[in-house]
Amino acid sequence: MNEFFVWLETTPFSMWIRDSPSVFAFPTILTLHTVGMGIVAGLSAAVDVRILGVAPGVPLTEMQRFRAFLWLGFWLNAVTGVLLLVGYPTKALTNPLFYIKLALIAIAVAVQLAIERRVLRHPKVDVDGVPKTGKFLAAVSLGCWAAAIAAGRLLAYTYSVLTSV
Amino acid sequence: MAPFQVWLVTTMRDIKIVSPFMHAPYGWAACETLHFIGLSLLIGMIGTFDLRLLGVARRVPIAALHKLIPWGIAGYLINVTTGVMFLITEPEQYIFNPSFHFKLLFMALAGVNVAAFYLTLFGKVKALGSGADAPRAAKIVAGVSLTSWTAVIVCGRMLAFTRPFNCGPAGAGFLATCFPHG
Repeated sequence: MNEFFVWLETTPFSMWIRDSPSVFAFPTILTLHTVGMGIVAGLSAAVDVRILGVAPGVPLTEMQRFRAFLWLGFWLNAVTGVLLLVGYPTKALTNPLFYIKLALIAIAVAVQLAIERRVLRHPKVDVDGVPKTGKFLAAVSLGCWAAAIAAGRLLAYTYSVLTSV
Repeated sequence: MAPFQVWLVTTMRDIKIVSPFMHAPYGWAACETLHFIGLSLLIGMIGTFDLRLLGVARRVPIAALHKLIPWGIAGYLINVTTGVMFLITEPEQYIFNPSFHFKLLFMALAGVNVAAFYLTLFGKVKALGSGADAPRAAKIVAGVSLTSWTAVIVCGRMLAFTRPFNCGPAGAGFLATCFPHG
């Protein structure tokens, strides 16, 4: 693993992300990662609180229209997240918390897909009301995004090795 | 402005209520986490409302969607609270930081924008039911809101990359972006 870290961290692209004085290197990538976080976690929270009973006059089938923006935020963060990982592979991959963050995001994504399938795309959801599993999924979604944000923030405080070079 | 900034820093440094918590292990990190969760709530709830004004999910009645706004305000209040905690713990890192000056500017723009919306447009806009398009003025307000809140996040993130250093012989200038006492 150490050889892989050394190889990746000495590639010009990794070095550019990590060491370039350009504002478009690390600062821009990190900023986009924060904006994307607000979009994906925030829009997901908006759908979740609606499912849990806030703003009952909003048709759930129409909440689907915000899907495209939610997934845009997600993919923005998948891409910027990979770039941050290319810049600091040792820092992330030697920290157990990084794997917990990834697991939390994986659960949140699976839950989001289940919410879309079982609640938002359910043709009768606005007539029959939200099924109990829908409310459970919404609560899990809120918890996972909050925990993923906490894990992500704590990565800056809990790493043991910054780089292998 | 520089003498006023120095006065602000010394005054804030004397407020020592939150300092022990912020310097405790993970105190600062806990506040940052809350600040990020508040940011997400604000962007998620306010952004959803702005997108509806701009024409997304037009079948959603505006008054019904507006019930999400208190959750966005909750996010805003979390962030004002945690933001003030950062500020009074390390005042010189913010008061002399150009990113912080721009962040305040965009927060003020977002504030004026939201005040203008509720004072002039909200009465008409909240009556818009399912399928109704928002007037052009409301779309402009929504665009300004999305842009200014995004700019607030960008400036907040840039704080770490524009940290002030000691001012050189040229001095602090009108608005100090360096430590004048250095």
